[in-house]
Amino acid sequence: MNATIELERPLIAADNTRDTPRKPGGVSQDIIAIEHLRVEYPTRERGQPTKPAVKDLTLSVHPGEVFGFLGPNGAGKTTTMNVLLGFTHATGGNACLFGTSVREPISRQRIGYLPELTYYYKFLTAEELLRFYARLFHIPRTEADRRIDQVLQLVELDHARRRPIKTYSKGMQQRVGLAQALINNPELLMLDEPTSGLDPIGRMKVREIIQRLHNEGKTVFFSSHELGEVETVCDRVAILHRGELKAEGRVRDLVAQHQCNLEQVFLRVVGYQP
Amino acid sequence: MNEIFAVAGVVIKELYRRKDFYVLFILTVLICLVMASVNFFNDSHIVRYLKEICLLLIWICSLAIAITTTARQIPAERENRTLFPLLAKPLSRTRLLLGKFLGCWLACGLMLLCFYLFFGALAASREHHWPLLNYLQAALLHWVMLAVVIAFTLLGSLVFTAPSSNITISFASVAFILLLARHLNKVALQLPEPRRSILYGLYYCIPHLELFDVRDLIIHDWPPIAWTVCGVAALYALAYASALLIGACLIFHRKAIN
Amino acid sequence: MRSTKLPLLILAALLVLCFGLAAWLDLWFQTWQGNRAQSADVLSVLMGDSRRIFANHFFVKADAYFHSGYYPTVFDNREAFQTPHMAEDSGTVGGQNHGDETGFLGQPRDWIDAFSRQFFPARHTHLDEGGASGDLGDSSQVREIMPWLRLSAELNPNDIRTYTVTAYWLRERMGKVAEAEQFLRDGLRENPDSYEIMYELGRVYSENKHDLARARNLWEAALRQWQKQEAPKPDPDKFLFIEIASHLALLEEMQGNFAQALAYMALWKSRSLSPDEVQKRIDYVRHKMASPAPAGPSPQTPSQAP
Repeated sequence: MNATIELERPLIAADNTRDTPRKPGGVSQDIIAIEHLRVEYPTRERGQPTKPAVKDLTLSVHPGEVFGFLGPNGAGKTTTMNVLLGFTHATGGNACLFGTSVREPISRQRIGYLPELTYYYKFLTAEELLRFYARLFHIPRTEADRRIDQVLQLVELDHARRRPIKTYSKGMQQRVGLAQALINNPELLMLDEPTSGLDPIGRMKVREIIQRLHNEGKTVFFSSHELGEVETVCDRVAILHRGELKAEGRVRDLVAQHQCNLEQVFLRVVGYQP
Repeated sequence: MNEIFAVAGVVIKELYRRKDFYVLFILTVLICLVMASVNFFNDSHIVRYLKEICLLLIWICSLAIAITTTARQIPAERENRTLFPLLAKPLSRTRLLLGKFLGCWLACGLMLLCFYLFFGALAASREHHWPLLNYLQAALLHWVMLAVVIAFTLLGSLVFTAPSSNITISFASVAFILLLARHLNKVALQLPEPRRSILYGLYYCIPHLELFDVRDLIIHDWPPIAWTVCGVAALYALAYASALLIGACLIFHRKAIN
Repeated sequence: MRSTKLPLLILAALLVLCFGLAAWLDLWFQTWQGNRAQSADVLSVLMGDSRRIFANHFFVKADAYFHSGYYPTVFDNREAFQTPHMAEDSGTVGGQNHGDETGFLGQPRDWIDAFSRQFFPARHTHLDEGGASGDLGDSSQVREIMPWLRLSAELNPNDIRTYTVTAYWLRERMGKVAEAEQFLRDGLRENPDSYEIMYELGRVYSENKHDLARARNLWEAALRQWQKQEAPKPDPDKFLFIEIASHLALLEEMQGNFAQALAYMALWKSRSLSPDEVQKRIDYVRHKMASPAPAGPSPQTPSQAP
C-alpha cells in the first residue's frame, strides 16, 4: 500500500459527512464504486508478461460531487473510464455504476459521456443525432423533443440543428458532444478532457455547465490535465500514476496538507523531480 | 427492440445519404437503356437479353452495396470514434450488432425495391405484361439471400482488421458459392477419398446462395416456384444468417474496442 | 495584370492546330490503312483473338436461350448438346448429338441437389415450340436468341454457322425475310467463299422469295465452292453437299430440266447415306423423261440427314 494513500486515510475517515456506509455484501451506494480493479493488456512479444494498465484500484465517487480524475499520460485514467463505460473488460476486481455492475448495459442508463475526441455521424444533423440517442435511452417522443430543444439551447446550437454535422466547426462538434451527453438528463456525467482544444470562452462555458449540474445535485466525474480548472470546480480528486492510486481526497484537504497548490501536489505525488 | 430499430434507422439514413446507391442505380439504368436502344433485326419485342443484363447488373450492384455497406459499419464506427459515445449508452454490443444487421438488410431491401421496380418497368415496356408474382418472388428470394451475405460480412468485419480485406474475401466467397456451389457434389463424386469427403463436407457446410438466384426462371418466363418451397428456402437462409450473427456477437463481446 | 484572354487564345490556337493535324493525317491514314483495315476495328484491337472465344460463348448462349435456360454446364453430361439444337433444328449443320437431352442432370445426388432443381429451369423445351409456356402455337419466341447470335457474328464474322442459323430462324419463324437476306449478304461479304452462306441464301430465294433463277445460281455457286474447298479433304462436309445437290436436283426436276436433274441426283447419290432412296428418285425422273404422261405418284424425297 502506498504511503501517500496511508496519509490520506485519516483525512477521508474524518470526513464523516461524506462517507457512505457500505451495504451488507459489499455493495456501495456510491455513484461509482471501484474495488481492486485490475486491467492488464497482453503484450505482442512472446514470453513477456501482460502489461498492467491499472493495478488494484479502489475508488468511489459520492452522489452530488464533482470528482476530478487526474494523472500523467499513461497513468490509467482512460483505461479506468473505459472499464466504467464497458469498452474494456477488467482483468480483475469490480466496478459498479449506481450499484449495478458495469458489465450490464443498464448501468449506463443514467450516465452521460463526453469523449475527448468528439466525432459523430457526419451525415446526421444535430437534431437527428440527439433523437437517435434519445431513442437509445427509451425517452418518449414528446419528452425527447423537449429535451432536444433544451440541450440545443444550452449548448447554443439551436440555429444549426438541421445542418449536417459535417458542416460544423470543431467547437460546434464539441458542443454537439456535450448536448448528446446531456440528452438523458444524466445523474452522472463522465467527461474525458472536456476542455481539451477549446478556446477560453469555450472552457468557461464548460465550467459553467459543470457548475450548473453540480448545483442541480448531479455528479460529475471527469479527467483533465487542466489542474487550474480542476482546483476551481472539483470537490474531490484522485491522482493516478502508472496504474496505481497515489492520492485521493478533497482538493482543499490535499492543498492544506501539502501547503501548495494542486499542481505542485500533483507533481509531488507522481514523483516529478525538476 | 427499440434500440435495434434506432441503430437500423441510422444505417438506412447513411445509405440514402451516401452516393453509392444513386451512382450504381443510374449506371444500371443507363446501361440498360443503351442496350435497349440497340436494334436487332428490326424486332422491338426482343426482351430476354435485356432482362438478363438488367438482372445481372442488379445482382452485381446489390452485392456491391450490401458488402461494402456492411463491411464498413463496425470498422468505420471504431475509426471515426463514434462507437464510444454509442456504447456509452445503455446499448449492449449484441443489440448494436443486430441493429447494424437489420439496418443493412432493410437498406438493401429498399434498394432492391428500386431496382426491381425499374426492372419491371423495363420488361413491361417490351413484353406488355407484368408477371408481378414472379418478380415479387425473385425480389424476396434475393433479399433473403442478402441476409446471409450481410451476416457473413458483418462477421468478417469483426475478424479482419482491414475493411478492404473483408470486402475482398466476402466478394470472393459469395462469387464462389454462386458460381460453383451447385456443382461441388458432382466434382466430389469424381474424386478419390479423402478429397471426396472433404469436398462433400464443404458442399454441405456452405450456405447455398445459388438457390436464391432465380434469374433464369424470370428471364425465360417460367412459372413461379411454389410458395412453400420459397418459405423453406427463406428459413434455410435465415438459419444461416442467425448462425453467422451468433458467431459475430460472440466475437464482438470478447473484442476490446478501445 | 495578365490578360485573361491570353489562355483562351492559346487554347483556341491549340484546338485549331489539332483539327488541322487530324484532317491532314486522316487522308494519309486512309491510304496507309490498306491491309491494316482490321486494326481499325475496335473489337479486334481490344480483344484480339479472344473475341472468337467470346463469340463461341455467345453462340452457345443463344442455344441456352433456345432451351429457355435449361442447359448443361461444363459439369454436366453434354453428349446430347455437342451440336447446338437451334443449329441442328435449322437444318443448316449436321448434328453430332447422342444421348439423353432431357435428363443430362441425372438423378438428384442429395437433398440439396433435389431441392435446388426447383430454383432453375429443369425441363427440356425449345423456343420454336413455345418455350417454357409450352404453347406450341407460339414459335415467335425464337426471336430471343437473336441478340446473342448477332453479337456472336459481330465478334467473329468468320463463323459461318452464325449466319446460316440466324437467317433460318429469321425467315422461318419470325417472318423477316429481308433481314435474313441482308444478314446473309453481310456474312458473304466477310466470307466470300462460303458455300454454306450461298446455300442458305439460295434457300431464301427459293422458299421465301420464290425466285428460282437466283436460287439456282446461288446453289450452283455453292456447289462449285464446295468442290473447290471440301472435295480434296479426306473427310469433307457431306451434309451440306447432299443438301446442295438435292436442292438443285429437285429444283431442276420441278422446272422440267430432267437431264440436269439426273446429273445432280447422281452427285447426290454418290455421297448419300441412303443411296437406294436416291436411286428410286432417279428411276422416277428417268421414267418421266421417257413418257411425258404422268408417271404415278413421285417417290418420297429421301432424308438428307447423314
